[in-house]
Amino acid sequence: MSTPQDPNVREQPAVAATGSNRETILSTKGLTKKFGGLTAVDNVDFSVDEGELRCLIGPNGAGKSTLLELITGQLTPTDGEIYFDGTDLGELEPHERMDAGISVKFQSPHIYESLTVEQNLHVPLQRTSRDIEPVMERTLDRIALTEKADEPASDLSHGEKQRLEIGMAITLDPKFMILDEPVAGMSIDETGDIADLIQSLHDDGMTFLVVEHDMEFVRKISERVTVLSQGSILEQGPIEEIENDEQVRRIYLGENA
Amino acid sequence: MTELSLPSRFDGIAEKLNGPNTLGNSRAFWIAFAVGMFVMVAYPFARGSYAAGQTSLFLVYGLLALSLSLIWGYTGILSFGQVAFFGIAGYTYAIVSLNLGGVFGQTVALPIAIAVSTLSAFVLGYFMFYGGVQNVYVAILTLVVTLVLETFMAQTAGSEWAVGSVKLGGFNGIPGIRNFALGVEGASISLSGSGFYWFVLALLLGAYLGGRALVNSKYGYALVAIREDAERTAMFGYNVKRVKLAIFTFSGALAGLSGVLYSTWGNYMDPSVFTITFATIPIVWVTLGGRESLLGAIVGTIIIERLRLWFSVNASEFAIVFVGVILMTVVLVLPRGILPGIRQIYLFLNENGPRAAVDHGQTVIKARIREALQTVGIDASDPDTPSSSEVVRE
Amino acid sequence: MTSGFGATGALTPLIIGDFLGFLDSIGVPVVQLLQIADNFAFITLAAIGLTVIFGMMGVINLAHGEFIMMGAYITTLSVNVASLPLPVAMLLGALGTAAFGAVIERTIVRRLYGRLLDSMIVTFGLGLILTQGTRIIFGNTLQSIGTPFGEVPGYTYSGYRVLLMFVAIAVLSAAYLVFTRTEFGIRARATIQDAETARAMGVDTDRMYTTTFAIGSGLAGLTGALYAPSATIVPGMGQAFLVESFVTVVTGGSTVLLGTTLAGGVLGTIDAIFSNLYGNFFGQLALLLTAIIVIRLLPDGLTGLAYRIRDKLGERQ
Repeated sequence: MSTPQDPNVREQPAVAATGSNRETILSTKGLTKKFGGLTAVDNVDFSVDEGELRCLIGPNGAGKSTLLELITGQLTPTDGEIYFDGTDLGELEPHERMDAGISVKFQSPHIYESLTVEQNLHVPLQRTSRDIEPVMERTLDRIALTEKADEPASDLSHGEKQRLEIGMAITLDPKFMILDEPVAGMSIDETGDIADLIQSLHDDGMTFLVVEHDMEFVRKISERVTVLSQGSILEQGPIEEIENDEQVRRIYLGENA
Repeated sequence: MTELSLPSRFDGIAEKLNGPNTLGNSRAFWIAFAVGMFVMVAYPFARGSYAAGQTSLFLVYGLLALSLSLIWGYTGILSFGQVAFFGIAGYTYAIVSLNLGGVFGQTVALPIAIAVSTLSAFVLGYFMFYGGVQNVYVAILTLVVTLVLETFMAQTAGSEWAVGSVKLGGFNGIPGIRNFALGVEGASISLSGSGFYWFVLALLLGAYLGGRALVNSKYGYALVAIREDAERTAMFGYNVKRVKLAIFTFSGALAGLSGVLYSTWGNYMDPSVFTITFATIPIVWVTLGGRESLLGAIVGTIIIERLRLWFSVNASEFAIVFVGVILMTVVLVLPRGILPGIRQIYLFLNENGPRAAVDHGQTVIKARIREALQTVGIDASDPDTPSSSEVVRE
Repeated sequence: MTSGFGATGALTPLIIGDFLGFLDSIGVPVVQLLQIADNFAFITLAAIGLTVIFGMMGVINLAHGEFIMMGAYITTLSVNVASLPLPVAMLLGALGTAAFGAVIERTIVRRLYGRLLDSMIVTFGLGLILTQGTRIIFGNTLQSIGTPFGEVPGYTYSGYRVLLMFVAIAVLSAAYLVFTRTEFGIRARATIQDAETARAMGVDTDRMYTTTFAIGSGLAGLTGALYAPSATIVPGMGQAFLVESFVTVVTGGSTVLLGTTLAGGVLGTIDAIFSNLYGNFFGQLALLLTAIIVIRLLPDGLTGLAYRIRDKLGERQ
């Protein structure tokens, strides 16, 4: 199950480098997804650099989740390409993309409700680690669920479930972490905890792509922000610039106000 | 594991057999299990060889039940097709052993029959899982495959339907299959009565312990994770399709072994193994015993088959009605099956003592009865106020 | 046996016969088309009740075959015992099964929403009880009421079976209209898409489920009623419809009525060809293989294919 994929794949040169001096880890070219008559993602050229913490914002229906699902492979693009770490993802099944170093936390908590917290963590861990115990302990500590290790996951609060799922995703030790609304439905304290967790992982060198509606949270963690609107990239840049952009304010932030 | 306090070389074995994916892991469980095994082994001495031979059918069915528990209880794939692989193996065994003749023919037929059922499961599984077929669609497709096999076998009465010297025989099936035997001419064993009983019991024990080791291994975690949330599991890098195909194929092999033993037990094979009624029976066993419990599957099999035997003697026309009632009642009232139920009672008794248990039981039963009465009450009451059922369910 | 259809009933085969004779004379392969139409009618009618319940509620009713049997029994008994005219008996068959379906939804199926596989198992158990219960009460077979109309002149083809083809189209159209054009249909579909929102908007979702299940059951009962005159009335008769109806659900895809119609057309043609050439088993085998191939190639069934073609055409314009 844990057989590595074709060893040739990762040795291909990185493509579509951006102007940044860091290596591009993820890039899309002309990425398009149509559902019947609706174009959810429209000819998007998008890239994320290695070690970056990027936030993706945009009004409901802008195509954010679709874009994420195209990257994870849950959806197949109508047109266009996605490159990750030099590999064309087009040929890869979702699980192969995870093997390549992508990890994801879904929008609504996707955990194994009938298993305990520890058993939940066991599922991803047994694939990646020879020595499970120390990683288990470290992860439980990091997501602050050590005391609840033996409780069924169904008994956790919403915030704890979110933390557990993030914990499960990071045990894969991914290069690239996708978080779809990590603080949705959380209290202010819980939001702060998640922000700290993301920051500490980011400091360790993990690349993030975060979709989030909570602008306070985005302001706190983000370096660069990409704004998606009607399936296309509207604007891209540092958070201060984005927040002062007239067009963005009108289309997106205006809606929130 | 430490509470077993066995010599250290057994610790390794115990560790493989025990784990979160099986219900009974305690010392008390294993002692009870050993007592149960002792009774099972001693059964032929108490009841005689003929009775043991009859009872061995239940154990043969136990293997079929295990195959369904693995695929459905642990992996969440409801297969109505276990009887298809069971029947395919039985027919193959009949055709090969009767064509080749003799003990040698039977010895060769065994691996061929299991290989054919395994391959059938692999091919069907490949098309389903790699074709993206999921959930209810798997159940429907496996059922349709089984029914089509019934149609096929039922229309093979003509003499043109023969493989070698063996006629498929339509509804009458293939008679004259010999008792289970292994070896070559001059050095062989043929099993019937008590001998067959012990042989099947040993196979069942092996399959059960093997199954326990499987579900408590890394692989077992993958199975349970897929049952709970297949998409999430794929996002942890598991090749969900391949795991599903592997366990489906393995279950097909186990069902095939069961089918071979069945054909040698009754000395015939006919299309009734592909009927919708027979396809349901394994689901009844596993549902009753507890689908997420390997032992539950076996216990459920023995209970149901014992009762079916009673019905066939005393009230044959009500046997199927009884099966239907059991199926509906268990799913509605005790969805996890009786073995997990017993375990819960045991745990509760351990923690709270018998007095509290009786009180708790009364409360639960009262609540259930009230709920049932209210459901009926709603039916009788004004249909314009169905929202009241919301309140009831709260 | 044509009681109730009267003089016009007796005329029908003549009219059909003339019409078919005309088609034959201009080179249309009438016999083959009749076979396909007959199979189309059988498959769509076999499946319609199942697909309405599955498509609208996501529940697979494994007692579907027994609901069909129930419709046939009520119809047959109404004619044999109560001497009712056939159309009235058929109506009773459909309504009786619908009422039974409503009761089952209220008492059993309702508790299992969200537990799809469990609802399959429970309805399977119900099917076993119904089949065997019917056998215990009414014995192994009922006296058949016989097929009205006789054969179409010039063809060895029952006029009644030809009529069924038109009935199949009428039933599909009626179901389509009910679920797309009526207040009930809109509310039912809102419930199916998002029960919570529908409830917030004042839709009585419990009642929607009951009604939808009753309609699906009633359609199954109607199928039984329609085939009662030409089928052998035995407790296990519902099983004759199972393979066809399940394959249709699998092949049709997510959109109930369009899927059923498309699958009925495709599968009916395939079944007609293979059954005629090689017999019933190869007909069923061909259906099964078609279903597997369709699933392998078209993730969303024939409906998905239809939508994709529509999109492609839309782009070109």
